[in-house]
Amino acid sequence: MTVRGPAMLKIEAVSKRYGYGASAVTAVDNVSFDVAAGEFMSIIGPSGCGKSTLFHVIGGLTGADEGRVSVEDEPVTAPHPAIGMVFQEESTFPWRSVAANVAFPLEVQGVAKRERLERARRFIALVGLKGFENHMPGELSGGMRQRVSIARTLVSEPKILLMDEPFGALDEQTRLLLGEKVLEIQQELKQTTLLITHSITEAVQLSDRVMVMTFRPGRVKRFVEIDLPRPRTAEVMTSDRFGHYVAQIWGDLREEASRGMAAQEERVRTHPGV
Amino acid sequence: MAGKVGAMKKKTWLRAEVGASRAIACLVLLALWQAIALSGLFFQDVVPSIDRVLFAFWSVLADPLFYRNLGVTFGEMLVSLAVGCSTGLAAGLALGGSPFLSRAYEHFLHYLGSAPKIIFFPLMILWFGVGPGSKVGMGVISCFFPVAISVAAGMRAVNPVWIRVGRSFRASPLQMVTKVYLPAMRTPILNGFRLGVGVAIIGVLLAETKLSNQGLGFMVMQSYSRFDMPRMYALLIIVIAMAVAFNTLAMRLAGSKP
Repeated sequence: MTVRGPAMLKIEAVSKRYGYGASAVTAVDNVSFDVAAGEFMSIIGPSGCGKSTLFHVIGGLTGADEGRVSVEDEPVTAPHPAIGMVFQEESTFPWRSVAANVAFPLEVQGVAKRERLERARRFIALVGLKGFENHMPGELSGGMRQRVSIARTLVSEPKILLMDEPFGALDEQTRLLLGEKVLEIQQELKQTTLLITHSITEAVQLSDRVMVMTFRPGRVKRFVEIDLPRPRTAEVMTSDRFGHYVAQIWGDLREEASRGMAAQEERVRTHPGV
Repeated sequence: MAGKVGAMKKKTWLRAEVGASRAIACLVLLALWQAIALSGLFFQDVVPSIDRVLFAFWSVLADPLFYRNLGVTFGEMLVSLAVGCSTGLAAGLALGGSPFLSRAYEHFLHYLGSAPKIIFFPLMILWFGVGPGSKVGMGVISCFFPVAISVAAGMRAVNPVWIRVGRSFRASPLQMVTKVYLPAMRTPILNGFRLGVGVAIIGVLLAETKLSNQGLGFMVMQSYSRFDMPRMYALLIIVIAMAVAFNTLAMRLAGSKP
């Protein structure tokens, strides 16, 4: 059991509903957890469990209906400088070069051009894209573009890195390789990280702790401490204990995922053509 | 590889053929024109012979008055494009950025935008006089609508994730506009400008032919009322060339890839 430091990020009884009256849907229901400084935590849940809603609430892009999000006891009501977000969708600016994309947050903060390009170069190297500074995003592969997004978020040196299925659109092999890259970076920067994912392997590969969410309304189902040695080498990933964690989380998740699937089938049955 | 070379060969071959076909069409049209002019089928001078049009073309180009009028029209065009594009851009950004404003006013933009602007010409004369002012006014109201409509639609089509990225890095509203919206909207904005240029030319020249005392449109109508047909045709060729030049320039700007 690892000893956790003081809470960096606190989520207290957060709820979020969409719509009004009878048609209101509770996306997130009374979710509470802490993320300790330097911890790598993952949130996993079936599609439609409110993961992305939670991501937007923690990032300060959407307000919660109830509850409180705070960073080192400072409430988050709008995008907070201590939180850096990496989005699920393709989010690089196609009109900016890789260097200009990564330098964007510094440009917004008013950092001088020379300094921001220098800092951008450092983080481009960190995500393994040295030599691509002057390429346009359109010339890169999906995996490379997602690394540009990660570098762009890291360059503002957030205390908390918040990622929403950053590798969701990539193939399995690229995912595993990028996962290793993220771990490397996390070790180097001692970066507090909260990752939202639907991949069990990814969650176990990367995390100190995994939070499993229920299908709608999204509630906390269970926390699983991943007590595996770091670095998480290929040896660790093929070990019995790794498999044991994957099986345990799948056991929890299976029930929720089947509920999600049933709900989807029901919706198609009752609203054909929608 | 062989297929590719073959395709390239075919393309250059086609290009030569297209050019030849165009040249032949031109020659045929000119010959037909000349034949009609010499046949005496129409009242004298309605279809003047080519040599007389060329002579008139030459004398127009040698006339200092022509350059003054060209300057007037050119100036009216530039002012109406500057005013029309900038107000259109501002209105488009306001409508695209605010669902409330869009809901309240965008319908009117579509209705007024599709109305023939020439019906506003009497108003323009009353407000801005018979001089260049009323022509600029016509150019501006022609240019404003397509720019505003295109910009508003373009703003709503900006990828929402880019907006979220900008917000998550805490960009100010001004930074959101200059660093996210405007670059993301490059294509619709330039398309709006291109449409605006086209209708601004129409607006300005149409106004000049209706009521004016200077400008290319005025010169065309002056030749017409004096029944100086060769000169009128020569001026029409120049006006068309100018319109084509403006449009090509705008299309080049809009067509270049971001």
